[in-house]
Amino acid sequence: MNEKELRALVERMVAELAGQAPTPQVKGADYHPTQPEGTNTGCLDDISEIDLRQQYLVPNPRNGAAFQDLKRKTPARIGVGRAGARYKTITMLRVRADHAAAQDSVFSHVDEAFVDQNGWVFCQTLCADKDEYLTRPDRGRRFDEQNQQIIKNTFGVSPKVALVVGDGLSSAAIEANAPDCMEAIRAGLEGYGIQPGKVLFVKYCRVGASDHIGELTGAEVVCMLVGERPGLVTAESMSAYVTYKPYLGIPESKRTVISNIHRQGTTAVEAGAHVAELIKTMLEKKASGIDLKL
Amino acid sequence: MAEELLSVGIDIGTSTTQLVISRLTLENRANPFSVPRISIAKREVCYRSGIHFTPLRSDTVIDAEGVRAIVAEEYEKSGFSREDVSTGAVIITGETARKENAREVLRALSAFAGDFVVATAGPDLESILAARGAGADEYARENHCKVLHFDIGGGTSNLSLYDRGELAATGCLNVGGRLIKLERESGAVTYVSPVLRRLGERGWCPVPAVGERVGPEELAPVVQIMVEALEQAALLRPGTDRLEHFKTEGTRWEPVQAPVLSFSGGVADCIYDPQGDWRAYGDIGVLLGRAIRDSAAFRSVRLRRGAETIRATVVGAGSHSTDLSGSTIFYRGVEFPLKNLPILKLTEEEERGSAADLEGALRAKLGWFADEGGLTQTALALRGSKNPEYRRVKELAQGVCRGLEPLCQEGFFPVLVVEADMAKVLGQAMAPLLEGPLLCLDGVGVDNGDYIDVGAPIANGAVLPVVIKTLVFNKG
Amino acid sequence: MILKTKLLGHVYEFKSVKDVLAKANEEKSGDRLAGIAAENAEERVAAKVVVANLTLADLRNHPAVPYEEDEVTRIIQDDVNEKIYGEIKGWTVAELREWLLDEKNDGAAIRRISRGLTAEMIAAVAKLMSNMDLIYAAKKITVTAHCNTTIGEPGTLSCRLQPNHPTDDPDGIMASLLEGLTYGAGDAVLGLNPVDDSVESVRRVLDRFQEIKKRWSIPTQICVLAHVTTQMEAVRQGAPCDLIFQSIAGSQKGNEAFGLDGKLIEEARQLALREGTAQGPNVMYFETGQGSELSSEAHHGADQVVMEARCYGFAKRFQPFLVNTVVGFIGPEYLYNSKQVIRAGLEDHFMGKLTGIPMGCDACYTNHMKADQNDIEDLAVLLTTAGCNYFMGIPHGDDVMLNYQTTGFHETAALREMFGLTAIAPFQRWLEDMGFVRDNKLTELAGDASILLA
Repeated sequence: MNEKELRALVERMVAELAGQAPTPQVKGADYHPTQPEGTNTGCLDDISEIDLRQQYLVPNPRNGAAFQDLKRKTPARIGVGRAGARYKTITMLRVRADHAAAQDSVFSHVDEAFVDQNGWVFCQTLCADKDEYLTRPDRGRRFDEQNQQIIKNTFGVSPKVALVVGDGLSSAAIEANAPDCMEAIRAGLEGYGIQPGKVLFVKYCRVGASDHIGELTGAEVVCMLVGERPGLVTAESMSAYVTYKPYLGIPESKRTVISNIHRQGTTAVEAGAHVAELIKTMLEKKASGIDLKL
Repeated sequence: MAEELLSVGIDIGTSTTQLVISRLTLENRANPFSVPRISIAKREVCYRSGIHFTPLRSDTVIDAEGVRAIVAEEYEKSGFSREDVSTGAVIITGETARKENAREVLRALSAFAGDFVVATAGPDLESILAARGAGADEYARENHCKVLHFDIGGGTSNLSLYDRGELAATGCLNVGGRLIKLERESGAVTYVSPVLRRLGERGWCPVPAVGERVGPEELAPVVQIMVEALEQAALLRPGTDRLEHFKTEGTRWEPVQAPVLSFSGGVADCIYDPQGDWRAYGDIGVLLGRAIRDSAAFRSVRLRRGAETIRATVVGAGSHSTDLSGSTIFYRGVEFPLKNLPILKLTEEEERGSAADLEGALRAKLGWFADEGGLTQTALALRGSKNPEYRRVKELAQGVCRGLEPLCQEGFFPVLVVEADMAKVLGQAMAPLLEGPLLCLDGVGVDNGDYIDVGAPIANGAVLPVVIKTLVFNKG
Repeated sequence: MILKTKLLGHVYEFKSVKDVLAKANEEKSGDRLAGIAAENAEERVAAKVVVANLTLADLRNHPAVPYEEDEVTRIIQDDVNEKIYGEIKGWTVAELREWLLDEKNDGAAIRRISRGLTAEMIAAVAKLMSNMDLIYAAKKITVTAHCNTTIGEPGTLSCRLQPNHPTDDPDGIMASLLEGLTYGAGDAVLGLNPVDDSVESVRRVLDRFQEIKKRWSIPTQICVLAHVTTQMEAVRQGAPCDLIFQSIAGSQKGNEAFGLDGKLIEEARQLALREGTAQGPNVMYFETGQGSELSSEAHHGADQVVMEARCYGFAKRFQPFLVNTVVGFIGPEYLYNSKQVIRAGLEDHFMGKLTGIPMGCDACYTNHMKADQNDIEDLAVLLTTAGCNYFMGIPHGDDVMLNYQTTGFHETAALREMFGLTAIAPFQRWLEDMGFVRDNKLTELAGDASILLA
């Protein structure tokens, strides 16, 4: 070990003892070490911003332009080249980054302040934490006495429609899409002469919670926006489950589902307009899911 | 759930008149758990008329009554009634496209072509339809290459360049098989088009005069110069003098080289199936076809025969003129079809403005239309945004509603054509702000100078058939 | 039959064979969700002790679902070779375990014994195996099958090319397909999970696959994994189809939830043999996965390992070419984390091979499970050691349609290189002729799908 390395080591030890060593912080806060090393103040580009449909890493392709035409038609990670029979560093890191975003969107929570800001009424299923939520789907579909009362107070007796936002498997999906989508739904319903009422937010929510809400309130239509299980292409995909007169034990086939609501899929506002019209149709035809012939 | 749509194409050209009826098959390509995404899955021709000589009252004036009789007869033969047909296009092309005369022809056809059928002319659209009818666009897309397509008819040659899937350029030259006509028996010249007469005036080559009896040798120099113009257009011959001479007014064709050239139009048949009798059609089409086939320059690239040749334009008009709107749209109280709506498009910057800015920009532009001879039912085109917040949608709705007030006061109603997928939410946001009819559709890109036709809703009311009439193709 | 034992000073008594089998399972969140798991580690071991002392006859006589009630039970029981069963019915499960591990008993001997076993016996012995036991025993068992080519030969590792696309875009599918071929994926099957389960859509994709297969003379099989009835209709309409696919379950009720029974599967098989494009005789492809019965409330109180073994017994009746467990797809309520997924993957492969079916594995995970790419790479290495027939091949392991991660094209290529394995022989020759593989390594052409566009 030369003198320079030794000094660096000592410096690091001292820093650790003094509690100054950089420690990774929680997601959401930009991470800055307290003492930037040297004078290098540059910053690397965000690899998650690389457009994967444009990224083409095959060296000397025989007919690269033709392949890129096809590649643009798919979000699949192709044209990635290789390092031996393994992946290139950049694509490996990107998969890890996208997986990190997906996992964080599952295991993080929708901020309660965010719920308040949107004027949604907060409630929670029987699940006490994420772990229970993930392993006990049955408990993500029911409410205790106290939360049942909140639900009844929010929607009143036999409303035409009960609008619900559930965190589901992606908090990120809700934060990215639910407010705009809900606004579009509400405006659309008003345009059709249907009073939208208040919006309920459900923490640790499974789709089946719609059914308990239906039983508690006698709502004619329950419309639930819920975060989808994230994929690597996007962690922000949301679904709308709309059910006519749901009850405990209603078959899944009686729900109408609009999935794939996100920036690159159906946009939040356009999906909201579509859902508003769907609710109107359901009220007219008194049916949803396979019973609703569109 | 496959739904079908019948579409008619009628092509009234300088020399021939044809009709096809095509079947367009609609399909919902979205999975059952998302918003529908309906598109045209298949376009197939189910009836082809015979090829009729265009009935003329003089060299350039179409006999409208004669055309009507042809169309009536062909409908009869096809077995389809005119009520079955819900969309399509009538194209009047080439030298015959005279405005007053065209209008008369369309009036004569209105009973047959149905309410939905649009009429149009214009070399850019014709180039596009011919190339699509001949499958040049598809070839370019599937083989990932550039294809330069020539549709060589009686009076004109329509050029279009497809770069892989995309249309890159269109143009039109006064090169065609019937620029000189002759008596089939004697070989006596009966007609020489002005553009060829000017060749003689410029001293480029001897040009036969009307009444003169000519053989292939006498015609060869004229035909050769026409071929040279095509070669220059394809950058296979140096210079642009020939090309410039034959360009039609308004064409801005830049010579461009493509690895694949494809041909359609009546003359294309003479390239691939040379007629023994050069006078078979009483014109120089056979000679022109032979000269193209024998051109050393053209032989240096890959030549492809169009999937359609003489019928390319009419198949294009029948099968490829109609597209579909996006599948989430908004309409209220609209009486379809809407025909020939001129497009008013804001600049990108104007579109980004606040509600008040939008209102101002719209009122200013509507003022121009008003000055040009009064307001008409106009369609407002917007680019829209990829993933707008609801707040922005509301702002857009307010600005547009207020800005279009002058139009509404004249008894017209708002028609919005948006490129990005946001028509339904925009329509719902606008609906409470005004009374009466309202139409918002998306998934359609148009430009100032275009016209749009919108047919009645199909596929359970989810989508609208639209025909965009591109009068000037302006890439970029 | 003894269902009671003392362990570490406590007495443990179990209600039934089904109960003790469930409690003998390695920990699985699905068994806990079903309310049948062992309370704690000691109870689990006590259950294993009891299972070790059950005889094979005890297990045969106590199927998870009664013979009279369940078609899957009937198929498994009716297919038992009574003579072989007669030789071994007095063995305890512990004896069966040691017999399987004994170096004197080779693959052929195991394949023979296998014909006297039922799913409950196979599941029971798996519960007494450690992870390495599962690998060690499975490694001995070779199960081959022939469709157009022969899968499962020693020295080979195959790959299903899975070119899924979120909207079934034909060009998008083609891009993934062609790229996979250049990495050596696709010798097991070119198999798409379609978004659109319509006959037209299935036909369209099959036609496209057939075109590619013919154009480049690729020795492999093609399949579109729609519902079995959709594929049957496509075949009747003349679509090219080598393999008919279906997801299956370990009980009649579970199969009903998938819209099938044994009669329908046999009908599909006969149709594929009569009107399909494959040489055969093996023309079926099945997928399974621990927990799927519970998710359709069709588990009859049995644990997910037993139900999984029953899937294989059902599958065997129809002489499949491919069977794989989609091991991490179902979610954390059934398999909580990577540890449980890896365990399940090893169990499923072992049980499939012991049943006598040509077993592969979709080594995968979803994003709401505590697992990542490292974990399924681990599983793939372990299963390759165990002689697994095939894995999935997806661009960079990311399925953009089903939204889960599995093994990528690169994984099969790396495993083949590391373990000295090849693709199925004719496919390997094709790879060498095309110049994608040389000396069992990828060449500079591998990964350049544009070669196949020329």
